Amino acid sequence: MALKALDIYKLLPKKNCKECGEPTCLTFAMKLASGKVKPEDCPYLDEKAREILGASTRPPVQRVKVGVGERSFAIGEEIVQFRHEKTFFHEPGIMTAVSDRMDADTIQAIVADVRDHLLVRIGLDLRLNGIAIRSESGAPAAFAAAVEAVEAVADLPEVLLAEDPAVQEAGLAVCGNYRPLIHAATRDQYREMCALAVKYGCPLAIRAPTLDALADLSGLCTAAGAGHLVLDLTSPSLHETLNSAVAVRQHAITRTTPALGYPVFIDTRPSGLPDAALICGVLKFGSILVTDAISDESRKAFLVLRQNIYTDPQKPIQITPGIYRVGSPGPDAPVLLTVNFSLTYFTLQGYLEASGVDSFMLIVDTEGLSVLTSVAAGKLSETLVRDALKEFGVPDLVDHRKLIIPGYAAPLSGKIEDETGWKVLVGPRDAADIAEFLEKEWP
Amino acid sequence: MPTVTFLPGFRKTEVKSGSTLLQAAQQAGIHMNVVCGGLGKCGKCTVYVKSGRYDFDCEKFGKFFSPEELDAGACLACQTSVLEDVRVLIPEESIVQEQKILIDVMGISTELNPAVWKYALTLSPPSLDDPSPDLTRLLWGIEKAGGPKEGDIYAPLEVIRRIPRVLRESGWKVTATVVLVPGGYRLIDIEKGDTSPACYGAAVDLGTTTVVVFIRNLIDGSIMGVASNYNRQISCGEDILSRVTFARKGGLKKLQSLAAESINAAITEAANKAGVDREHIYEVVVAGNTIMTHILMGIDPAYMIEEPYVPVVRRYLTAAAGRAGLEVGEDSGLFIFPAVSDFIGGDIIADILASGMAESEEISLLIDIGTNFEVVLGNRDWMFACAGAAGPALEGGEVLFGMRANAGAIEQISLDLETLTPAYRTIRHTKPKGLCGSGLIDLLAELLRACIIDRTGRINTAIDHERIRAGRQVPEFVVAWKEETGIGKDIVITENDVKALIMSKASILAACRTLMNQAGITRDEIAHIYFSGAFGNYISKENAIVIGLIPEVPVERITPIGNGAIEGANLVLLNRRKKKFLDEIARKIAYIELNAEPSFMDEYTGSCFLPHTDLSLFPTVEEMLGKCRMRRGVP
Amino acid sequence: MTLSTLSDWTGEVGTVTIGALKADGGTRSTTVTIGGERDLSFIGSPPTGHRPLIAFELCDDPSLWPAPVTKFLGDRASDPAEWARWAGQEYAPDLIRLFLTSTRRRGFSDFASVTTTVENVLQATGLPLIIEGSNDPELDSEVFRRIGEAGEGERLLIGTAEAARYRSIAASAMAYGHLVIAQSPIDINLAKQLNILLREIGLPHDRIVIDPYTGALGYGFEYSYSVMERIRYAALKGDEDLAMPMISSAIDSLTVKEVREADPSGIEKISVAWELYAMLPATIAGASIVCVRHPSTILPLRAGIDAFWPAPSGGGGA
Ligand code: SF4
Ligand code: FES
Repeated sequence: MALKALDIYKLLPKKNCKECGEPTCLTFAMKLASGKVKPEDCPYLDEKAREILGASTRPPVQRVKVGVGERSFAIGEEIVQFRHEKTFFHEPGIMTAVSDRMDADTIQAIVADVRDHLLVRIGLDLRLNGIAIRSESGAPAAFAAAVEAVEAVADLPEVLLAEDPAVQEAGLAVCGNYRPLIHAATRDQYREMCALAVKYGCPLAIRAPTLDALADLSGLCTAAGAGHLVLDLTSPSLHETLNSAVAVRQHAITRTTPALGYPVFIDTRPSGLPDAALICGVLKFGSILVTDAISDESRKAFLVLRQNIYTDPQKPIQITPGIYRVGSPGPDAPVLLTVNFSLTYFTLQGYLEASGVDSFMLIVDTEGLSVLTSVAAGKLSETLVRDALKEFGVPDLVDHRKLIIPGYAAPLSGKIEDETGWKVLVGPRDAADIAEFLEKEWP
Repeated sequence: MPTVTFLPGFRKTEVKSGSTLLQAAQQAGIHMNVVCGGLGKCGKCTVYVKSGRYDFDCEKFGKFFSPEELDAGACLACQTSVLEDVRVLIPEESIVQEQKILIDVMGISTELNPAVWKYALTLSPPSLDDPSPDLTRLLWGIEKAGGPKEGDIYAPLEVIRRIPRVLRESGWKVTATVVLVPGGYRLIDIEKGDTSPACYGAAVDLGTTTVVVFIRNLIDGSIMGVASNYNRQISCGEDILSRVTFARKGGLKKLQSLAAESINAAITEAANKAGVDREHIYEVVVAGNTIMTHILMGIDPAYMIEEPYVPVVRRYLTAAAGRAGLEVGEDSGLFIFPAVSDFIGGDIIADILASGMAESEEISLLIDIGTNFEVVLGNRDWMFACAGAAGPALEGGEVLFGMRANAGAIEQISLDLETLTPAYRTIRHTKPKGLCGSGLIDLLAELLRACIIDRTGRINTAIDHERIRAGRQVPEFVVAWKEETGIGKDIVITENDVKALIMSKASILAACRTLMNQAGITRDEIAHIYFSGAFGNYISKENAIVIGLIPEVPVERITPIGNGAIEGANLVLLNRRKKKFLDEIARKIAYIELNAEPSFMDEYTGSCFLPHTDLSLFPTVEEMLGKCRMRRGVP
Repeated sequence: MTLSTLSDWTGEVGTVTIGALKADGGTRSTTVTIGGERDLSFIGSPPTGHRPLIAFELCDDPSLWPAPVTKFLGDRASDPAEWARWAGQEYAPDLIRLFLTSTRRRGFSDFASVTTTVENVLQATGLPLIIEGSNDPELDSEVFRRIGEAGEGERLLIGTAEAARYRSIAASAMAYGHLVIAQSPIDINLAKQLNILLREIGLPHDRIVIDPYTGALGYGFEYSYSVMERIRYAALKGDEDLAMPMISSAIDSLTVKEVREADPSGIEKISVAWELYAMLPATIAGASIVCVRHPSTILPLRAGIDAFWPAPSGGGGA
């Protein structure tokens, strides 16, 4: 586990010289503990301290990059088992599979779809990441042709699924310069695969029947010069995949088995349950998820789940403050105040829509804090409300002067009335009760 | 209608002819002492009419005053009617102290090492054989008397100008005053004859609401006089933010001079009481919050209240006291405590100094509670500090029957667990008017013990008892029936009050726990908890733990240090070596911004429970509450 | 050397049995037991504790129910007893969860209907029942008394107790031998606080199921997911006030924008996806009962749970 600030502080020179850019060694220690600065920033660390701090602040899961260019992505660098402990850093790449048995048109249609598919949510672009090319024919030429078909359509990151080194090399000959993930080295052919990985400078997935064997193989591959590894934990049993993924993450972050300190690869096909396998992969530490094309609905749900899980739990997603309309509100429509925490916003919006009452939502900037939190932290204040009413021109939108505030903001009601001159109605604490509230309280 | 002008402060009000001065004062918003209720029996409402016609029965009420006082216009405000425009001086004693200003100090001993020396010298007059200049002669004299080397003393022009005259007029018997300032030794005064015993300094706590001054004898360290005063800036805004706003709107100069005036008034009062000539005060040491000290030094505090909240100066400041408008010796020194951030000011550094935590290996937790609170955790090697807003509930604000610690405030209360009948004590033993902070903490703890509230503060209305009732909006508990109160109404505590209190206490406990987590310290490792400030002086330590205002530690580890700011200022005044130490303390402290600390909110919700969601943090409280539940027949 | 998961857990999730057979004073044809985990969900071969279960949700006032479901059901939605019988037979959920949505209408006063509805549903299905009553403190005591009474001996799981209103539900559960759902708004501290409050008024821990409140996928689900993980983690670390099994229901799944605005032809698929992608993750985070409203979600959800728990099915387990 990460060192506490005070433990780190004990290792620092305590000169308080500020050369690291921090006012005191203790602040430096705090930032170091939370990963905001690097040990090298202090020029006066002694050898021992450097060693201890270096070891405990380097990410225990190695960073690996797949692909080149705009759509390339990095995986690894994870430091926790549970997202609430810090956050998960790199979203898993979802690689849609094509086969060298498919004809070029089919392949290209799939690739184009992956290239173009885009889901915009909360201001973020959610995309599929790349293409996995399966060698099913076993023929190098067919494989190369499939890779060529993919390359012809898009510069997407690729996984080359070919365990026969000759087939693999045929694929690499086409796209080896674009840093595809080579899949996969096994105990039998790891020398050849490592040589290919070294030759093309590509990341290498490795596969073994047990975790012990996998750890051994990882050691062999690094010794053979392939440093950017990815661990394939695919099994027909999702139970097994889940268990090994958890084990790998635990061994990695506790640095118990550094040979397992690499990102994880999961192919959803052998389980026969792509949805469940994708869910398993996104929740439990998969970094490369290979899947055959899935339905539109599953894809949407998957992308949203991935976005949810990889949201920094300590940084709530924020909505731009402003006035938002539900339905087509007129000058007599209610104005409901709430904070710019996305969850609060969406929940209220949902219930307002369901209530069928046309209304205005006045979203104020509480830095993404929820109502309860922002009231407690003093971020939601009467002046903030006053300024927001003015800034967003609310008095011109409605001809009444009544503001509905969230139930948890009740302590502020008097102050808001004084500061704004608007009459304040304290709404329900739970957005689910908003329809009923409006029915009762709004004329 | 006649106009009544009240001095000092020149508050004016118009009243009907024949109204009493007490009515006029009340109308003007001045809270006078009316202990007997305006019957002319207690003599507490003394005022002095300086001009104008008035009606006061000297025969009947003269017994309260000496002839001199009567000559000066003394009369009882409640028994004096106004006939025409009058100017009335209200002495400090006749005004209700909004709150007891805390001047008790622990009186920690320190080595006496002031930064001021006075040398009584008898110099030989110059002659043709000894033609050295006056200044050199004087400085040599100082050196010979055991003072610093001649070459090390800087003499400012203003003093040099006075030297020839004073030397000759005194017949070469003079007293020279030397102070040590960051630039070195400085000759700041020369007086005729031997005035060396008259060597004083002033320690000042410049608070947002109050100013406290101690005058100390710098030769033996004794306390010469103490005085306290309201900070006159109150007229420009009650709280600190409104002061900054005022400063922003071009009011900095005014605030600065009001700050100086407030200090001057207190110094004058203390000096007069002690018979000390203000000219003999050679050093003034001021501890105050960052904004107050900025203002005193005439530095614009405007940018401190905006993100990213940076003060202009952090380290300690020195200047000639006269430059800040302080009316002490002309060239006397002024020393301002350093600060850590906008929120952790010199007052907190002074608290730390006064508590001794920065010299100890043991880990201490220091808590300064007001509307804002500051918490410091650490020992001589490291310190974490944070600050936040606790809301006014613990000071009686935003609680229906909450009040400041004035007469009539219930300051202590307990409940009979069988009958739920309260037993309480009020300040000045008058009929209760409300509850002040310490009373509220007691009450919260007692309601919990009696199982009237659950741990989230909800009143259990299922209990069938006359004191527990539905209330107008939320359930409430009757603390005192209207017959027994001084306000003719039932005094109650409502469920909303209880929740406000829980939220306030939760911010403080969460702040303590956030620092403890940062440092990786458990409650067992805390050797001392120091409470600074008025609030901490009066509350029950046991109940503070029962409600989870502070972490559970054995009560003997809790020490109220009273007004830590004035204590710290005193220490520095008496021992100059502490000055360097202050900067060291300030540099050692790592400031933690609670709002940027993700775990704080978690700690906060965890603390919004009596005493805390993690019951294992309060083992003895739990044991006690378990017994109470058994006793009350709740499983 | 055999590498496996590392765990230094000291705690264990308590077990809760829902439903009572004839022999035990009830009329259920099966009962279910949840909880008992000594590790993270699905970890271990076989995993510790009991397999997560699926509850199918229905209500007695379909006007407050998501349209994709009521459309799918047609007439059945107007009779909760028929709804329960049919779903039990066709889709084989492990439990039925009945929401007495009628009590949430304004001006509700037909308390007798509570009794009738509960009795009818009990007759229509032999599955263990979860019953959700009113959420208005004014109605609670009567509604929950009636639920308790109508289901006396059936060991119902009744909900929902919240910090602001837990006394009447707990009272009914204690008087009539039922279990309680304790719901708190996505916060581990609040969840724990409510459990302590319930314990202190006499409701033992083995009669509590935690509902940490579950936001719909894309609408705060991640908060719920993490709170469930944290609750499970705390339980395994030995915190007894959090060592109860959890129930998770993303009740807004079928009213989110993605479903509301879906093309009618794809509405069933998106409904299933939105429920599945929240509820299967919930089981991984630690939920013992996951709830769905669209009947078509039950099958894939069951398949997913079984894939993570390959041991023989049957709800028994360790
Ligand atoms: S550079 Fe090193 S020694 Fe200097 S303040 Fe920073 S941590 Fe301390
Ligand atoms: S109030 Fe007592 S004498 Fe005036």
